Amino acid sequence: MLKIWSMKQQQAQAENAEGAAGKKKKKVTAAQLRVQRDLQELTLGNTMKMTFPNPDDILNFTLTIEPDEGMYKGGVFNFSFAVNQNFPHDPPKVKCTQKIYHPNIDLDGNVCLNILREDWKPVLNLNAVIVGMQFLFLEPNASDPLNKDAADDLRTNREGFKRNVRSSMAGGSVRGVSFERVLR
Amino acid sequence: MTESFPAALTGPTSKERKYDRQLRLWAATGQQALEDSRVLLVNSDGPLGANSTGVSGVVGVEALKNLVLPGIGGFTIVDPATVTESDLGVNFFLEEESLGKSRAEETCRLLRELNPDVQGYYYSKHITELLHDPDFLPRHKLVIITGPTNRSSLGSLTQQAQRLGIPVLYVHSVGFYSTFSLQLDAEFPIVETHPDPETTQDLRLLNPWPELADAATAFGDLTAMDDHKHGHVPYILLLLHFLEQWKQSHGGNPPSSYKEKTEFREFVRSNARTDNPEGGEENFDEAVAAVLKTISPFSLRSSTREIFEMEQCKQLTPQSADFWVIASAINTFYNTHGVLPLPGSLPDMKAQSADYVALQNIYKSKARRDVEEVTSTIRQLESQLGQATPQILEREIEVFCKNAAHIKVIHGRAVPQISSDSDLTTLKAIRNQLNMEDSLISVFIATQVLDAVVDEIQSSGQQEAQLSVDDEALWTSHTERILALLSRDQPVPLDVDVRGAIANAIMELRRAEGGELHNISSLTGGLVAQEALKVLTRQYVPLDNTCVFDGARSRSEMYRL
Amino acid sequence: MSQQGRWKHLYKVMSKPGPYCDDDWVPGSDTIDTLESSKILVIGAGGLGCEILKNLALSGFKDIHVIDMDTIDISNLNRQFLFRQADIGKPKAEVAAAFVEKRVKGVKITPFVGKIQDKDEDYYMQFKIIICGLDSIEARRWINATLIGMVDPENPESLKPLIDGGTEGFKGQARVILPTLSSCIECQLDMHAPRPAVPLCTIATIPRQPQHCIEWAHQIAWQDKRKDDTFDSDDMEHISWVYHAALERAQQFHIHGVTFQMTQGVVKNIIPAIASTNAVIAASTTSEVLKIATGCNPYLENYMMYAGEEGVYTYTFEAEKKPDCPVCGNLARKMDVDPDMTLGDFIESLGERAEAQLKKPSMRTEEKTLYQRFPPQLEEHTRPNLRLKLRELVENGEEIAVSDPAYTIDFRYRLVFK
Repeated sequence: MLKIWSMKQQQAQAENAEGAAGKKKKKVTAAQLRVQRDLQELTLGNTMKMTFPNPDDILNFTLTIEPDEGMYKGGVFNFSFAVNQNFPHDPPKVKCTQKIYHPNIDLDGNVCLNILREDWKPVLNLNAVIVGMQFLFLEPNASDPLNKDAADDLRTNREGFKRNVRSSMAGGSVRGVSFERVLR
Repeated sequence: MTESFPAALTGPTSKERKYDRQLRLWAATGQQALEDSRVLLVNSDGPLGANSTGVSGVVGVEALKNLVLPGIGGFTIVDPATVTESDLGVNFFLEEESLGKSRAEETCRLLRELNPDVQGYYYSKHITELLHDPDFLPRHKLVIITGPTNRSSLGSLTQQAQRLGIPVLYVHSVGFYSTFSLQLDAEFPIVETHPDPETTQDLRLLNPWPELADAATAFGDLTAMDDHKHGHVPYILLLLHFLEQWKQSHGGNPPSSYKEKTEFREFVRSNARTDNPEGGEENFDEAVAAVLKTISPFSLRSSTREIFEMEQCKQLTPQSADFWVIASAINTFYNTHGVLPLPGSLPDMKAQSADYVALQNIYKSKARRDVEEVTSTIRQLESQLGQATPQILEREIEVFCKNAAHIKVIHGRAVPQISSDSDLTTLKAIRNQLNMEDSLISVFIATQVLDAVVDEIQSSGQQEAQLSVDDEALWTSHTERILALLSRDQPVPLDVDVRGAIANAIMELRRAEGGELHNISSLTGGLVAQEALKVLTRQYVPLDNTCVFDGARSRSEMYRL
Repeated sequence: MSQQGRWKHLYKVMSKPGPYCDDDWVPGSDTIDTLESSKILVIGAGGLGCEILKNLALSGFKDIHVIDMDTIDISNLNRQFLFRQADIGKPKAEVAAAFVEKRVKGVKITPFVGKIQDKDEDYYMQFKIIICGLDSIEARRWINATLIGMVDPENPESLKPLIDGGTEGFKGQARVILPTLSSCIECQLDMHAPRPAVPLCTIATIPRQPQHCIEWAHQIAWQDKRKDDTFDSDDMEHISWVYHAALERAQQFHIHGVTFQMTQGVVKNIIPAIASTNAVIAASTTSEVLKIATGCNPYLENYMMYAGEEGVYTYTFEAEKKPDCPVCGNLARKMDVDPDMTLGDFIESLGERAEAQLKKPSMRTEEKTLYQRFPPQLEEHTRPNLRLKLRELVENGEEIAVSDPAYTIDFRYRLVFK
């Protein structure tokens, strides 16, 4: 290998000066490239939209979900997505930016979705995450909750739970906890 | 519940903080064993020939570095050499000011700087002088010798160590090659072998004890459960439940063949509920995944069976080591119950907290009862053996019971050599290796030739000044002699490829003229220290018994020679 | 003191051919000169880095640089042998460099206290070989991608061999990466599986293990009760708080086994580390550096794994280059463009290029989203770019990355203005 270097060294020197001038710019990172591809392959339907506070930064954006069926119909829910440079090795970090009443989302906005944590694999893409998020509003899951009170309500008193969902979405309170108004 | 919760914050001591990263491997007991140990390094034994000051001994010093840092009790360096210029280019634990001084003293001084908790001693003498003192060797728990060392001092050192039961590591690092052999007692038992956690699970699903069987029936009718409950039954109880159902329809027999087990797996899978938001149940997924791994009758590993069948286990004497007394008691347990004491650990699984803890307690208390049974056998044995007071600590018995399925006894062998009085087993093992393509055994043979060359130079007395370690005639004659030993009494002579491989190894070895390259010595010092740590802590499984590292081709191999 | 005397053993090996050297390898003073003039960069001055610096200095290298952003902690002292009790709190790179310089006369070691990302290609270009002793996957991936991006086919000096080492307890690995020529860190990512994570809902509602209680205290209780303090895993008060919260929760659920040591292990994601494994791995990496720099023996192709729990086990094999590797599988191709062409015309021209035929591409530079077809919000934002000239959007020589749904791989082009 040394031999190859030394042989080509002199010949390369001349071109070096020219090459170096144009070589300072940063390269598109693997994470950026992957997100560019993932975004292009999204299927959003008409219940979801995305906003980019800085369109040049595609690693940070907001996903808005407006369920058109199920118990959360009529609500507008915002989630912040933060993708780090270790993506897709690391999953995106997703948080609900509103305080809502949901068995799988706690009052701090943490979201319990398996593919955001224990079941994340680099072959999964942003579309899989978005589909999973949408599903949480169609079929809230009481069996492994983050918000235990909401889950207990859903399990033991489905009608009561529905009422709680309605009132929380309207900005009311449930068991003394007040929620953010998220109605359209 | 006898266990209690720690009351207040007990932050780590500064020693625990310093050793934190290693305590996570060998725990406080391993650390204590290290702190109770002093290691002897015999680092050179006279010049290698004309223009040579002897072995540089870097590999030995690097090994000690890796033992001083984790905090062995102390070390002793025996090295008659004085520091020369060439030492400074290869040994990190010498400095400009060390030139002309005792190498034992200087390396000892600079190694001690690494850890104030470690005691360091040195002798600028030949090891043979020190061996006259019968108290010298017994102060040490392990001996590291760096080769080449002349045959007679190596012989008396290894034999004396063997008599005293002190393990020996004999190490060469020459150019891009290194080899080392570990000499252990004829029986070197290890309890804490640290097997892969995956292999240590013992759930007893095919022969549950009454409390476990009861737990599986206690949860009642699965079909009547609401979804939440149904999705949180621990998979172990699910498997026990479905095994009972299976047995009822299979003449009372559990699934045994692979085909039956896969059928059983499908049967378990078919009972999962899928009409829920997740479209399945995690606890059933776990149960399905565990079928092939866990639905098997208990079987004793052959290595454990061999231990039970050894004389030391069958014929206890008042001098028997604790290991054999406990092993014997566990053998009795096995003969009574057909299983080993339960390790008692439970993998994590989908379950409600309280259900999991309850199940865990069933395993824990069974394990505790097994320990009690073994302990009472041990107490009987102790009194039969004429020991007035109980000798063996509860803790030791507990650890043994937990690890019973993975205990190991290494049958130690002497440091291997190729010579006219070599052990036949050693020669046979080397010959077998010679038939393997790309075997590194040729490197071991090359270091044996080097030993022989140096031995001749050193024992030639006055002629010493004339002979060099690069003497062509010496190398040729010793190579031929060793090749002859290897093919003695063999129907066919060594073939051309084998001779070529050995010639290559010798050529590469001779590039360095007996000298060390720092990288190779540092790497080998790491490997040697790793073996020393395992021997001293009696944890993990040490080398049995020879390792060769080839730095030219970045490979290593292990042999039992 | 004579160089010949001091380096006797090393010089001997460099002055004689061995059976495994290349046939045309020339032993002797030229090789020794090459060795002594090779500038080497060491990334990391921790467990591996300390050993690496010592090994390089005693392998005859004279000009060594070292980067590390960390300061010395008490828990480093069981293996990072260049540091003493009195050094706690000082920067690792500086203390390590000063120690080795003092001990081994004639070697120059230049420390840099900071992140590898603080340095640009010009910095990395000055070295002959780069050797890495890191504990972070992210940093490894960064340097890997950077070195691959630096390879200029017209300049052989731009190819910097990367030698990487890593350890965990009694295990470790050493690998040689020739950027763009051999399997890279990214190609091998799936060989190092991340630790399995515990479901958030288990932590939140059904803890079963002491670790679940610690995670709850660390991730949920802290956020709840001490939102305004940024959690610092090196702050003893913070760890103690988490430990207490975890203990309390464990008590509530009758879970045993929460200890201070375990708390630290979980929140800091501590990996066990010992001196001996570091010595083995560091020395195998530096041995490869010596072989590559001098040609005195063949270098590792390209991966050696080591496991020391049961005897001494190593496995040496050639990891394969992945054709679809996102880093080395699509290197930037040079493309001559007219800077006055609009982005829209440029995109159209891509569709006509024989090798690409990109019909619906999205593309960006590191800084800018040039055109993104989906989602609609981004498309709307970037549509005006289509009418701008290339010179208004990219700089001469800048790289763009292009994705097209018709292809499973992406493309990178370096746009050079005609």
